[in-house]
Amino acid sequence: MKLRQSVDAAPGRSPRQAIPFLLPALVVLAALVLYPLVFSLIRSFFDAGGDEFVGLRNYVDTFTDPRTLTAFRNNVIWVVVAPAAVTGIGLVLAVLTERIRWATAFRLVLFMPMAISLFASGIIFRLVYEEAPEQGVVNAALVGVHDLFSPSSQYPGARPRDGYTRTEEGYVATAPSRAGDTVMVPLTGFSPQEVPARALPASQPATGNGELRGLVWLDVSVGGNAGKVDPIERGLPGIGLEAVRDGKVVARTTTGDDGRFTFPDLASDEVVVRLPASNFALPFRGLTWLGPSLITPVIISSWIWIMTGFAITFIAAGLSAIPRDALEAARVDGATEWQVFRRVTIPLLSPVLLVVFVTLVINVLKIFELVFVIAPGSVQSEANVLALQMWQVSFGTGGDQGAGSALAVILFLLVAPAMLFNIRRFRRERS
Amino acid sequence: MTAVALRDVSLVYPGGTVAVNDVSLSVADGEFVVLLGPSGCGKSSILRMVAGLQRPTRGQVVLDGAPADDVPARSRGVSMVFQDFALYPHLTVGDNIGFPLDVSGCPRQERTERIAEVADAFGIGDLLGRRPAELSGGQRQRAAMARAIVRGPRVLLMDEPLSNLDAVLRSGLRAEIAGLARSLGLTVLYVTHDQIEAQTMADRIAVLRNGVLEDEGLPDEVYRHPATMHVAAFLGSPRMSLFRAYVQVVVDSHVALHVGGQVIDLPWPDMRARAVAHYDGEDIAVGARTEALRPAPPGSSGSVLTGQVRHLEHHGHETLVSVDVGAWGVEPSGLHELRTGELVLRVRPDVRPVRGEHVGVHLCLEQLHFFDLADGRRIGPRGRRR
Amino acid sequence: MTLVAEEVRIEVPVSGAPKRGVVSRLVSRLGNGFVQLVLALVALFWLVPVFGLLIASLRDESANTASGWWTVFTKPSELTLDNYADLVANQAVWQSFLNTFYIAVPATVLVVVMAALASYALSWIEFPGRETLTVVVVGLLVMPIQVALIPVAKLFGAFGLFGTITGVVLFHVAFGLPFAIFLLRNFFTGIPRDLIEAARMDGATEWVIFKRVVLPVAKPAIASLTIFQFLWVWNDMLVALVFADQDSAPITVALRAQLRQFGTNIDLLATGAFLSMVVPLAVFLVFQKYFVQGVLAGSTK
Repeated sequence: MKLRQSVDAAPGRSPRQAIPFLLPALVVLAALVLYPLVFSLIRSFFDAGGDEFVGLRNYVDTFTDPRTLTAFRNNVIWVVVAPAAVTGIGLVLAVLTERIRWATAFRLVLFMPMAISLFASGIIFRLVYEEAPEQGVVNAALVGVHDLFSPSSQYPGARPRDGYTRTEEGYVATAPSRAGDTVMVPLTGFSPQEVPARALPASQPATGNGELRGLVWLDVSVGGNAGKVDPIERGLPGIGLEAVRDGKVVARTTTGDDGRFTFPDLASDEVVVRLPASNFALPFRGLTWLGPSLITPVIISSWIWIMTGFAITFIAAGLSAIPRDALEAARVDGATEWQVFRRVTIPLLSPVLLVVFVTLVINVLKIFELVFVIAPGSVQSEANVLALQMWQVSFGTGGDQGAGSALAVILFLLVAPAMLFNIRRFRRERS
Repeated sequence: MTAVALRDVSLVYPGGTVAVNDVSLSVADGEFVVLLGPSGCGKSSILRMVAGLQRPTRGQVVLDGAPADDVPARSRGVSMVFQDFALYPHLTVGDNIGFPLDVSGCPRQERTERIAEVADAFGIGDLLGRRPAELSGGQRQRAAMARAIVRGPRVLLMDEPLSNLDAVLRSGLRAEIAGLARSLGLTVLYVTHDQIEAQTMADRIAVLRNGVLEDEGLPDEVYRHPATMHVAAFLGSPRMSLFRAYVQVVVDSHVALHVGGQVIDLPWPDMRARAVAHYDGEDIAVGARTEALRPAPPGSSGSVLTGQVRHLEHHGHETLVSVDVGAWGVEPSGLHELRTGELVLRVRPDVRPVRGEHVGVHLCLEQLHFFDLADGRRIGPRGRRR
Repeated sequence: MTLVAEEVRIEVPVSGAPKRGVVSRLVSRLGNGFVQLVLALVALFWLVPVFGLLIASLRDESANTASGWWTVFTKPSELTLDNYADLVANQAVWQSFLNTFYIAVPATVLVVVMAALASYALSWIEFPGRETLTVVVVGLLVMPIQVALIPVAKLFGAFGLFGTITGVVLFHVAFGLPFAIFLLRNFFTGIPRDLIEAARMDGATEWVIFKRVVLPVAKPAIASLTIFQFLWVWNDMLVALVFADQDSAPITVALRAQLRQFGTNIDLLATGAFLSMVVPLAVFLVFQKYFVQGVLAGSTK
């Protein structure tokens, strides 16, 4: 009679049979994953060259290095904002797609970014957020919308030559004028090629009786006299002018094709002629998305673009796993759709949401390629994250493998809670 | 010659659950033995230990006289039909049947012949090209059987092979399987929870409960003289009526059994009365199958209990009448001690008792069973078996 | 909402159906229309960037610097395949494209084979420490690869694998294994025990059971894993950035050098990026069912 510990083992099957099955994977895992983990831990206590034991100095340096601190700050922003945003968007979209017929197609479209590389996604968003509105679609759209509500000026950058002071409202004549005067406004700082085709040659307007008249023309100094109307010079059509008295606008007018303008009904008091700034406003060129201040939100937005499909797919699978009975029972019990969602669906879905969230957090902590590709070199330090910093310190410009190892260990420690979460979930599922 | 023997076999799971408790059982060559018991009684564990899929915690499995402790499943010459048939879903029926031959290196030519032969024997010769998913339940069952016997096993193990089939198919296959096993001279160990299967197919049945072998013998024998109250309750449909009786010995005259407020007398010459007499002044359990009960015309005397009709079950060819005779019922599992003891009486369909009506029930004393309330064992002259 | 709609459909034929029925039907119609509109817009947000990249890759450099890809709607004549022709003619980029295959294919095959073997043992062979080993694998799922970059670089240096395709492949295999084992083990343990035991009774050895029963039955899981692993390796940049040299660099690394002058390199970068996306997109569209399953199964990677 024999007494055995395990009852699962069948006769004639020894643990030895497991060895050939396990060996290849175990060797690779041990050599390239487990051993490196231990090595990195030890290495992080040595200096850049790996010869001198420096204790915790690498860690101290890491936490005092401003670049690493920026990376930390960005990682915190990422972890706080991105996974929650994706989980939330994913939940909303997963619920919305439940009711539509083309749900599968929709999810397929949103899932697609998961298939392509972060590098390619980075290129895509680099292009999307490119600053020049001729290239970046976001700025192009912004400019389009902006110009729809406040059209861009005809003469960006142009300015009167002399006798005008620049104020918030525009260029104000230093000398007052009154009805009957003629006001000459020579403009410079504008290319003759840009002058509208309808512009006619400029000529001195006749003095008006009781009217304030004037001329706005492009006063080119090369081949002409500054401040004088030369035969080759043309009037500038469509420029708005204001007559201001005691800080109030009393009349408005616009130049004709020959550049002439007239304020017909001015009382005899003195006014000051003003050219509103809107005539010369530089065109709106959109925002500097890839600049230091917006870079992290921009990269987060592209990450959201990539990961939302994952969240939707996962949450939709969770939704379809919710027993219909539970929902129908709630409806029969008189709950509104919102109540059903809030009181039945969400609680039943919460384990799935948690898994999605944790998965996204892990993903966020390892974010590397997106920052690397989207952030232009000059702002990369602003957009820095730990995973990128680790690469730069150890392989990029730094070449300090001691500090790099310390960063790797820190990264590992940050992921460790997620690791424990997974193990606990796995254990629970098994029992 | 003994084909399979279990010697004091126990199986204890790591948590301490005792699946099989000290079971000894032997199956003779060519014998068809059915392991019968409710789910979780350990019968499948016994099968798996014989198969070599599970190692006993204690005790020994002996095959053809040789201990099989370290013989792997594939070398035991034992094959098995699984409850859900376990056909390989990616293989055709033919490849399924041929699989055991293939892995043992049987040449293609011979394999093809054997497959055809066995498939024909089971009437699935024209289904060899199909996948299991394209088969009906009965066809799958046959394919699984064919696969199990194609290698010519010494012992065939069957684990509830009919439980996934519908009732009509089941009754047809019962006879077919039993007939086939006998004609092939197979030694079969068959596990089921269906007592009809056990009784119709088995040469011998072994009844298990909570890992313990409670009774063993010819089907008829076990039915008529169940060793314990549990076996008695498990075998037979409708279930045996079990109720509590107080024993009073009237020396040299009879033993009076007080059932509720009524009395049945066991005459002293009856051997069983002597055995029951040991319980003088105590309660015992009395069991009565419908065969032991007859309606008693009004005013008849003898072993008659009167009671009220509680409910009726019309079965078409017969009607089952539950009569409450005012006794305490007995549940073999001991869970529902306070249930009212009802006698289930079988009457012709044209007899129409009315609910609430008072009727008399005649008890055939020879067919009554007596059990010890404490351990559930049969009370009676020893020496039937074991 | 769907329920409301159904209720209404039932109520309509009944004469004197409550007014609420009609109203709620209207609301649900409009609501549904609104939802569809929102979702269509969302889908557009997902498609436009990719479409933009595609168009940019089909316009030459001067067109790309002068105007946005959307001008193609007014000037479709600008479209040209020249960029692709140039790229394919560019020996370095074309080589890197091939390298991506040379890396991804072996890294995928090795991972699938090793993981399948290990998963079989973890699922169906009893051995001491099986639980622990499984838990370790689950733990390794989320291991950041940064942890291994420096040590493995040293290790590869010592064995002359640094800067070789073999090195890149090996690293991918190592970090692909935990997920692969996790996925396959989950599937393998879901195979009915009866099936394995039937094979055992039928005389099959462990190896035969693995090869003849488990692998064929686990085809869907193997397919998911294959696709997932292939895309993972194909899309990698970090590993190759560290371990590949100029001759063994995959396309992501080869194109990275062009990033500095993004504005003037759009044609090359867009074309290269799109070339690198063609294979994954094709794989994704053809095998999307398996891919989605793989992602669902490997929620933790």
